[in-house]
Amino acid sequence: MSIRALWVVSHDKGESGKLRFSRRYPTVEFRAKSLAGAQYVAVPEDRLIPQLLLTELGLIDPEKPYVAVRDDCARQQRCPAVELHVGGPSGRTLWPLLTIHQGGLILACLPLVEAPPDPRPPLPGIASVSQGLALLSGLQGFLCGTGSKLPEPDVLASRLAALPSVLLQVCPLGTPLDVPPQAGALPATVAPGPGGAQKQPAWKAGVHRGRAVVSVALTEMVRSMQYGNRNKQDMWDVHGMVMCKCEVEGVLPNVTVTLTLPPNGSPLQDILVHPCVTSLDSSILTASSVDENDGSAFSGPYKFPFSPPLEPFRLCSYTSQVPVPPILGSYQLKAEENLLKLSVVLKLHESVRNSFEYCEAQLPFFNRHQIGSVDVKVSSGQLEVSKEKNLLVWVLGQKFPKSREVTLEGSVNFSGHLFGPTDPLCTDLTAYVKLFFRVPDLTLSGCCVDQHSVQVYSSAKPRIVTTRELVSSEYYIWNSTGDAPVSSGLMIL
Amino acid sequence: MTPGNSWDERISAFLFSPSQFLSCTTSESFLSELLDELRDEKANDHKKVLLLSALLEHPTVLCPTTSAGEGTAQELISILTFTPQKSISLKCHIMMAVTNVLICTSCLASQTKVAEDYLEFLFKTIQDTNDNTGGLSLQPLRATACDCLREMESCNPGLLSQKLETLYYLKQQETTILHQSYCTLYTQSLKNAIRLLTQEKDVDTSKLRSVLGGNEGFAWKTTGLPLSMLPFNMMTQVPQLSTMLDCKELKSILSLLLEESYLMTPISQALLLRGLIEIVAVVPAISPSIFKSQLLRLFGTAEVELMHATLLMKGTFTDSLFTAEDEHFLLKRLVGMAQHPLLRVPEKLFYMDCILHFPENRPISSSGEECLPVLVTPRLTLSLIPTVFNDSATMLCRLNLLCLVHLEADEEEEGKGLAYLFDHLMALLKIVDNQGSREMVVTSFRAVFIFLIHFNYMEKFSEKLVSSLCDLYSRHCRLAPHLINLADRIQECLEDSLWSVQLLKALQKCIVEMPPLQLTLQDLRWHLKILGRVAQESQIVQRNTICLLLNVLINSNLCERKNWQVGNAILAVCRNLLQHPTLSQMFIELADLLQHMTKHYEDTDIQDHARFYYTLLTNLSWEKLAGVLAKGPEGGQAKIRSLSAIVAENDGVTSCLTVHQTDGCVLQLMKIHEPGSQRATTGADTLETVDKQDLFEVYREQFKTPGFASEITLTYNLTHTKVTDPRFDKMFTICLHFDLNDSHYAEVSDIYVPCLFRDRKAPQVILKLKPYQPYPTSLRLSAIFTTEDGLSWHTQLPDVKVSFPEIFLPIPSPLGASHEFKEEVFDLMWNATSSGDPDSSATSLFCFKTESDKLADLIKIHFEGYQIAESQDQNAWKVLFFLPPRFHVLLKLRQAEDAVQVSIAMDNWELLPHVNAYLQNITAYCNMTTT
Repeated sequence: MSIRALWVVSHDKGESGKLRFSRRYPTVEFRAKSLAGAQYVAVPEDRLIPQLLLTELGLIDPEKPYVAVRDDCARQQRCPAVELHVGGPSGRTLWPLLTIHQGGLILACLPLVEAPPDPRPPLPGIASVSQGLALLSGLQGFLCGTGSKLPEPDVLASRLAALPSVLLQVCPLGTPLDVPPQAGALPATVAPGPGGAQKQPAWKAGVHRGRAVVSVALTEMVRSMQYGNRNKQDMWDVHGMVMCKCEVEGVLPNVTVTLTLPPNGSPLQDILVHPCVTSLDSSILTASSVDENDGSAFSGPYKFPFSPPLEPFRLCSYTSQVPVPPILGSYQLKAEENLLKLSVVLKLHESVRNSFEYCEAQLPFFNRHQIGSVDVKVSSGQLEVSKEKNLLVWVLGQKFPKSREVTLEGSVNFSGHLFGPTDPLCTDLTAYVKLFFRVPDLTLSGCCVDQHSVQVYSSAKPRIVTTRELVSSEYYIWNSTGDAPVSSGLMIL
Repeated sequence: MTPGNSWDERISAFLFSPSQFLSCTTSESFLSELLDELRDEKANDHKKVLLLSALLEHPTVLCPTTSAGEGTAQELISILTFTPQKSISLKCHIMMAVTNVLICTSCLASQTKVAEDYLEFLFKTIQDTNDNTGGLSLQPLRATACDCLREMESCNPGLLSQKLETLYYLKQQETTILHQSYCTLYTQSLKNAIRLLTQEKDVDTSKLRSVLGGNEGFAWKTTGLPLSMLPFNMMTQVPQLSTMLDCKELKSILSLLLEESYLMTPISQALLLRGLIEIVAVVPAISPSIFKSQLLRLFGTAEVELMHATLLMKGTFTDSLFTAEDEHFLLKRLVGMAQHPLLRVPEKLFYMDCILHFPENRPISSSGEECLPVLVTPRLTLSLIPTVFNDSATMLCRLNLLCLVHLEADEEEEGKGLAYLFDHLMALLKIVDNQGSREMVVTSFRAVFIFLIHFNYMEKFSEKLVSSLCDLYSRHCRLAPHLINLADRIQECLEDSLWSVQLLKALQKCIVEMPPLQLTLQDLRWHLKILGRVAQESQIVQRNTICLLLNVLINSNLCERKNWQVGNAILAVCRNLLQHPTLSQMFIELADLLQHMTKHYEDTDIQDHARFYYTLLTNLSWEKLAGVLAKGPEGGQAKIRSLSAIVAENDGVTSCLTVHQTDGCVLQLMKIHEPGSQRATTGADTLETVDKQDLFEVYREQFKTPGFASEITLTYNLTHTKVTDPRFDKMFTICLHFDLNDSHYAEVSDIYVPCLFRDRKAPQVILKLKPYQPYPTSLRLSAIFTTEDGLSWHTQLPDVKVSFPEIFLPIPSPLGASHEFKEEVFDLMWNATSSGDPDSSATSLFCFKTESDKLADLIKIHFEGYQIAESQDQNAWKVLFFLPPRFHVLLKLRQAEDAVQVSIAMDNWELLPHVNAYLQNITAYCNMTTT
């Protein structure tokens, strides 16, 4: 269960790849050699790695429309593992190479195959694959943080420079022992472990000293695809996660967080828990989004006893199927020469608290000229045209009106000189409104963490902070007069 | 530039490409520089860590042999000893470097002294549990020592198998965060010890107990245990221990490990679980239910490595640990995780792979191929259907899975699911139609390929796909290479499918029917590519193609535009048409086309080619034409390949023009051993009467002639290696290229060998070396040659090693010099050297014991030809080795009472170690002592 080599390659648009970091583990290579025998394929030198990697990921020669080694339709990039063709077109390959691609940064590692190489074993039959995936995910967190964008070049460079010492800790001789710490997740005040009979967990470098505080933050994300079309079923779902930060004294303090649902609340599904959770009730895991829902399912309370690590962590996550979307919308477009007539109606469901941190609807227009003149009235909020003149932004602010319904009516003229952005999906009347909102102190599933239900078994009574919020994520309302793309398997039924 | 900077650059250049870096220096000299710098007390720790990275990453490049490894490890250990206590990080790095060197150069496997000592040192280091004596600051050293020991145990399984009691005790003692290190070290050793037991016969309870309580030395003699025995499944039998064993003690050890696994990081937990699974799998007396307490925690985990370990458990213990409900639950869990919005894409892809290889309790097939578990139904995988919003990898992965699901599923739901998948393909093609990105185009064609592989037999889909693709092509001719690639691949994968022919036929029709007015030059190029491919299909009638081409040539200004590339593309189509089985039916049309081009195409080269084709067409039968134009098959005659390469642009051209690289080593040089083969060089002057005093002067005078006696000549046979690749049976124009590894010799020019046939006598290769310094060396050797099929190859040969005695030459004396002359020169030289300048010359004494008859043999074997004089009673000899360009080694051998004394004199003291090594080597079979 080891990895043979690890690389970080950066790749900016239109440039060839640049090797930013590399680490080889010769003792693992030694094992690979004796395991594979005659089928052993050596790892190529670092100078060859970027080109080989980019070829495999389809990133070389972006200006050429077709390159045989890159674009062959029988070459399947459907696995997390790719083959590195090290010996020319008919030559030997290195497999499985695991990669994670974020922004212009590619992280790759080559796990050791501890099985006879021929016939090629299935990926799940190789122990080191999941270890490699975990290590890469950890590295990604360390280098890039939690955001989806790459950090600034100098920040990235300093993190890359720190990698050797980090790897000395987490993967000294090719066998991963831990994952790198998340960027910026350094705990507050830590003292070394007290020693004594109690064994110190490997995932906790010391003990907390100072005021005891436990904070539990519940965030729910709601996704929706609304079509306003009888032939296409609208879709919405919710997923949530509970982030904890526990500053509690002791080597292995016991904390229990309990999630509760309102009566008749639909059960939390697909619950995934953090490894620090000490025990689980089997009923907690029974509900699955894959199953049909029946009313008899377990619906809480969900108890999670755990012993917290020092840094903030995701205690658990879940999905849920809620009966109604928080905002129901309709979008209608009509084309008239160079003019589009728009009509948008958004209704806030009565069960949702009418108090937003922000709420905004964006109406992008693709494959058209820039917006010339706008003649649109809104019943609430303000309307803005983006600087690039291809997007209407409808700022709804903190509240819907009493009627809980807002409308946008009018027409837009696309008479600008320049052509706006293109999109292969949104052609003709295929268009959408995308909603962005955040509602504090609300969850759609009704799930909540009561401050009093958080139990901490420790000498000092800690301060307990609990929060919850609802955030939109991929919330689309499609034009019902256009041909909207299908987004979910539920429509087959 | 400061020296520190330059080390930065050198190390990164070395790591970037060791082979390029070492092309201008040798690994020995770089290594000794590294070690010198590491020994330097003034250099800071940061720099030393940087230097160590070369040894940490490429130990075998720097230490190619076990003895080099041994020496380097010894050096590093002494550096470690002298490193100040506070340089913790540096010490950790040195420890890891030593471990790397010992393992990779097989010093550990061959139980060298340094490995023994180092192992003792590591074991001593880890005994300081809880930092009782060393203090907290030394904790990292202990952690590293644990890691090093574990790696040694992994690479030499069983090494620590007699130390289990100590390791267990240490693991129990340790309460700091290093507990995990001790735990994994113990588990690894325990696992290998149990595996060793399974290979022994008659293992009884007391044997098991003695292994668990073992407290002896390191088990060096346990070679033969394979590094790994995973993966298990029910179909492969692994050797097991007896069911009758009393395993209470082992069971309680395992239970305790499981209980404390909670203290480990998830990644190490997974490692531990896998170790324990392997143990329980070979000890049938322990029930798998020992894992039961952990199952719920594992079922709920968000960590991919723990889920993966759970699946291994499932595959290993099947229904002895997992009920049918568990199985169903786990599968649903995997499906849920394969699309969980909070997991990362690679993990989701991995879970989809896990569904395809799900370890069922009662699998139907045992092959490792992708095969859906029975429980996976269209309903279960509804959430995994591909959509246009997925990223490429996810979409293709889902499509593949869903295709398999619907291939298995009964068509009860009237193929709704399948219809969806097809609609999805159409949606993808629509995106391509709407100027989708390059990546989208590739992805869409891959999706079409996956779908066709599974459902090409369903006509309603395959026909619709053909028409959609043609439609797409008519608007986007740039897709031609993608379409050709798709047709090729489908034809390869589905031999009896006609889909590719249908597609090509439809494309031909589409091109032919396009309104000629819309034709642009760019589109025409794409059309010609397609038509060229269409012309390869014997089942497609080609008359329309010819008509279109002729039509275009006549009705456009193409002929006047003098475009060579377009002309060549048309000729490529014609070339394929010439090979078409229905050639006779389109004879006249094709002749018209070629004639038109001959007359009107305003490019001489195209005209010539067209005329050539016309001649072929009108003069040769179809069979002969096909024979002449056919692409040379692999290993075919070179003539055909080059002819077909001349007549049209095709793959043959590139493969003919490329120098290919051989996979392994196909050639080698074998030294021809002829005793006394070294011929003495003779001077130009004949010796006339010379005064005795001037003899030495005369001798020395010879060296003033430039190039005098400056070369050694080595003779080799060039032969095939054991690799029996028939492609290389006959090789031609072999060019041998030598590269020097050091600067002690002059550059060697290339040597040409006309040919090498496997069944003929091996050709001789005469290598002439011109030393600057007569030291042993090795030369890197590569060759470029041609094979019968006309391809050129480049190959690397084993290094040519030149040993010290191979450099010896007899004394270069003037023509007709007598024995007396040589002896005279010897004596004069001896006196000169032994009383000479101590900076350059040296004398030494070497003794060894041997019987007198053996001594005579020794002298005959090794010194014949170099012998100058022999005393009357045969107990003293004078021997002289001449080493070009101007060095001498003089030996006086004397049979004394108890030993043979060899007095040595030389005019270059740097030769002394080589002379010593040489003498030790040739007298190795005698009892010898040196002074």
